[in-house]
Amino acid sequence: MSQGIVRSLRQLLSEIRHISSEKKRQDSLLIKYIMMQFHKHKETDQQLCKAQEEMKFLASSYLCYLQSQRRYEAIYNQYHAKGERSVRETADMVGFKLPHDTK
Amino acid sequence: MLNTFPVFYPSLLRFKTVSATFSIKKCYPSSLTLIRHYAAPKRFYRKTGILRGDGKFEITLDQRKLKSPKGSPFVIESEPLALAVAAEWDAQKGKIQQSSMHLSGLCSTAIDNPNKLTKSDLVQHIIGCLDTDTVLYQSSEADELYEQQIQEWDPVLKWFCKRYGVKLEAARDISGPIIDQETKNVLTKHLLSYNFWAIHGFSFGVEALKSVILTLCCVERYISIEKAVLLSRLEEEFQSGYWGRVEWAHDLNQQETQARLAAAVLFIHLNSSSTFVQSKKRFATT
Repeated sequence: MSQGIVRSLRQLLSEIRHISSEKKRQDSLLIKYIMMQFHKHKETDQQLCKAQEEMKFLASSYLCYLQSQRRYEAIYNQYHAKGERSVRETADMVGFKLPHDTK
Repeated sequence: MLNTFPVFYPSLLRFKTVSATFSIKKCYPSSLTLIRHYAAPKRFYRKTGILRGDGKFEITLDQRKLKSPKGSPFVIESEPLALAVAAEWDAQKGKIQQSSMHLSGLCSTAIDNPNKLTKSDLVQHIIGCLDTDTVLYQSSEADELYEQQIQEWDPVLKWFCKRYGVKLEAARDISGPIIDQETKNVLTKHLLSYNFWAIHGFSFGVEALKSVILTLCCVERYISIEKAVLLSRLEEEFQSGYWGRVEWAHDLNQQETQARLAAAVLFIHLNSSSTFVQSKKRFATT
């Protein structure tokens, strides 16, 4: 397998582990399925394989889907209204320090 | 102010307690605005999985089968899509945030078809969006933005015209681009070759990107999802590069558009009978 595919596979697995509630990797049906597909298309790496191109595109799309959702949630949780912020939180947000903080 | 107060029917509330509760949050005491929050239901299952039967797939939450909002069986033809939907339900940690579950949402829409649309209705709606396609409106002044638009959008537009054998030209004034009927016919024919589920995905993608051309380029694998979203937000990126970028507006919007487009593209590909999906099905049965 070429370097690009291996990298995207790794990223995809790490994103799935992030959302999955299964503790073991082997228990996740989705991971099993993805590994099976990657192994299946491995043999045809030397040829111009339409199916492999499509698989790569689907994998990168799914990776983008999971990454975007994780980042969206992170930004949302940081800024979503939780009531008034304390002085320290506000100062941290804009990169200021409080008078009694050490420099 | 009284008019904005939500009316509570105790009898109604009793039915709604499981799925939705109301709370009034006093976020803006000065403007006296009332916000009604529908609380997301808590996660009520431990394991998610899929069931296989008749070459079709269903989602299970513990022992229960997932149903669509209208109560019909949630049956999906593609195995990877079923797995992705199950993973999406598994990803809901404390509460079930249905607004972020785009793949499940797309499946539910296709199963229930709440607006009772036919395939040709949807295709006509998509073709109608071509008149106001983002890529076809370029800056009317000869400025930096125009240069960027020429540099970024023109290659995509050229590829698109060549791929489908159509004529499209970007407009620079308020009257908008002129698109001949022939072009619309060609694209209508192309879209009609997809199945009903995939067309739902197209409609979702076009609404996220505000561009039929970019959606088709992305589905055809000419540009990646990140690139398509960047091109669709080109003016916003340009302006925020000049005036400053605000994380909770620009980045949030970018990530959400990416997630929506990625869901749409996945949905279209997994519901189209391409070689890849067919080979998977054969593989799954052996």
